[in-house]
Amino acid sequence: MSKKINRKVSPMAQQAVDHYIEQSLLLNAAFPNDKVIAGRQRAQVLFAEQAFPTLRDEDWQYTKLTGFVQNRFESLGKHSLKLDDLHTFLPPYAVTKIVFVDGWFSEELSDDLSVLPNGVSFESTRDVFEVPGATDQLFGREDLINKTPFGVLNSLLMADGYYLQISANTLLETPIFVLYIQSLDNQMATVRNHVVLEENAEMTLVERFVSLSADESFKGCANVVTEMDIAKSARMKQIVVQEQNHSSYYFNNQFIFQDDQSTFNTFYTGLGSLISRHQNHLFMNGEHIENRQNSACFGRGQQTMDSRTNTQHNQVWGKSQQLHKYVLDDSAVGVFNGMIRVDRLAQKTDGQMDNKNLLLSAKAKVDCKPQLEIYADDVKCSHGSATGQIDQDQIFYLQARGILRAKAIEMITQSFLMEPAEDITNGNIRQWIMATLADQLNAKDSL
Amino acid sequence: MLLKVENLQAKIDEKQILKGLNLEVKAGEVHAIMGPNGAGKSTLASVLAGRDDYEVTAGTVDFDGEDLLELAPDERARKGLFLAFQYPVEIPGVSNKLFMQTALNGVRAEQGLPPLDMFDFDEYAKDKIELLDMRADLLERSVNVGFSGGEKKRNDIFQMALLAPKLCILDETDSGLDIDALGLVANGINTLRSPDRGFIVVTHYQRLLNYIKPDHVHVLYNGQIIKSGGFELVHELEEFGYDGIVQKHEQAQ
Ligand SMILES: Nc1ncnc2c1ncn2[C@@H]1O[C@H](COP(=O)(O)OP(=O)(O)OP(=O)(O)O)[C@@H](O)[C@H]1O
Ligand SMILES: [Mg+2]
Repeated sequence: MSKKINRKVSPMAQQAVDHYIEQSLLLNAAFPNDKVIAGRQRAQVLFAEQAFPTLRDEDWQYTKLTGFVQNRFESLGKHSLKLDDLHTFLPPYAVTKIVFVDGWFSEELSDDLSVLPNGVSFESTRDVFEVPGATDQLFGREDLINKTPFGVLNSLLMADGYYLQISANTLLETPIFVLYIQSLDNQMATVRNHVVLEENAEMTLVERFVSLSADESFKGCANVVTEMDIAKSARMKQIVVQEQNHSSYYFNNQFIFQDDQSTFNTFYTGLGSLISRHQNHLFMNGEHIENRQNSACFGRGQQTMDSRTNTQHNQVWGKSQQLHKYVLDDSAVGVFNGMIRVDRLAQKTDGQMDNKNLLLSAKAKVDCKPQLEIYADDVKCSHGSATGQIDQDQIFYLQARGILRAKAIEMITQSFLMEPAEDITNGNIRQWIMATLADQLNAKDSL
Repeated sequence: MLLKVENLQAKIDEKQILKGLNLEVKAGEVHAIMGPNGAGKSTLASVLAGRDDYEVTAGTVDFDGEDLLELAPDERARKGLFLAFQYPVEIPGVSNKLFMQTALNGVRAEQGLPPLDMFDFDEYAKDKIELLDMRADLLERSVNVGFSGGEKKRNDIFQMALLAPKLCILDETDSGLDIDALGLVANGINTLRSPDRGFIVVTHYQRLLNYIKPDHVHVLYNGQIIKSGGFELVHELEEFGYDGIVQKHEQAQ
């Protein structure tokens, strides 16, 4: 089936477009809900017009999708995962566990969610489809989401996800841990989430993306869209750990909306996937908002590690802080793109964005683009970006104290990459992240 | 003999810096090396510590019965050679304490001793901290980051006290120290003096030498040691500068 195409699309990309539209029709048949089908159809029109971004798209110049487009991922696989398969992926601290397998919520593998604390409600997106009228909340921000190419693909193949609501004044102490696991080969996990923190609510959300198999012949794709509404004085802490195997793909678009006096702290670590792109679209729509967006990415082999933030200061007295660090080895590519936009209403804005990169090999490279767009006059904003190799003087200093060269490089690299994680306030989670980063850095020698 | 340097020649970026240098240090001795700026004092220290920017073009160095030039910098350190840097290096993110614990355990491994955990390390480090009057927070902070010039130097001597090396090479450790810190550092050095340890102290000033009373004093000029003597040579230099010695050396050539 061919649609009218407004731009030049390669035959390969056209086949991929046709394939995913076909997948979308299969989903329509499997889950016949009028509103969801209508949403998929709107996305279908856009997708048929736009297809996939190419190197000509400024936003995708360094994140090359040529290889990705050759895949034909499917959506409706039936997994046979058991609880025993999950142990290695669970963190060493108390959590409420929610499990998605190949993009589908698994009630059997998740903790019993009927006994969540008062004020916390969880529903799978698939269940929300079934509630009459409730689907409206899924499409409220469709236009915004469909401005991004993988947002469109997400709308096209939207199948499951979660709707999580923390009611006013609820302080959820135990972190919610969401495990996204790829168990079947060649599946695209399309996940659409919505998190709502009502006034003065607080929670910690830990999300981890993994593959059951590290085998390179096994690949999958996660395409996630998460909306977050953080109401007045609410406090959201989020940790995203991306460790899919090295032939998989990861695309995550987060749309975060903050109200007065709320705080949002997010930490992303990109360690896995052949191509990964993590994006925050952050709207600071109230006064006295604070947030921190940090990331630590380690790429090796042929990996592309793309992480982006778009921070919109829309009201007075907002404070945003960012530290993004990349360590790149072999032929890995790092891409950082950060935009701070300060509306003319957003006086007294304090926006800081820092990006630092360490290249461990001559072939590794990084493209960084920090940007400021300021329309208010009484603001304090800064951005910086620095890329370099390990300082030979530092290595020699450690060696001169009897530390082996390899160990010296490891110590310097590790401390470099861990800095963004130091802002994680929960000690258990921070230590877990640091151990994960150390494992990944040390694993590079065993490749 | 702890250290025997014979006809050492070294260059960097095609520039010959050391031009046939001889030096012998026995255990228990303290040697001072003085000499004008650019003479090659730091180069000698760096070559001995194993910095690979320098190419050794001739000569031999025997360290406690081993061919020093064959060893990697970390092996040299583990076998007991210590260099206090003219400019100690900052390492953001690596805690001073973890750094020293890792270093000490490397040296202990070489000596066949079990590693010390954080707790044992604290115990072991206690009297060295007192000896150098180290502020507690300097240990918790990143290596040398945000340290004042004097604190960096003191940190290096603290490391020396912890690692208890056989040969201590101090490259201008006294420059940039205030009077009190100079006293502390000198006291640290004197405390470490022992019959089985040797010192090479590079300095421009008499002040430090008055405290530690070197057994031998050498003048390094243009990549060679052109004069050696006892402590009295320090006074001679202080009074007459390098000119006389250099002229005599050049006439003799
Ligand atoms: N990379 C280099 N390329 C060329 N010349 C160099 C290089 N590094 C050092 N030198 C030169 O080597 C010479 C010896 O330097 P060195 O640092 O050993 O002197 P020094 O005796 O320690 O001096 P100071 O008393 O000022 O510390 C100097 O002339 C210096 O300029
Ligand atoms: Mg010098």
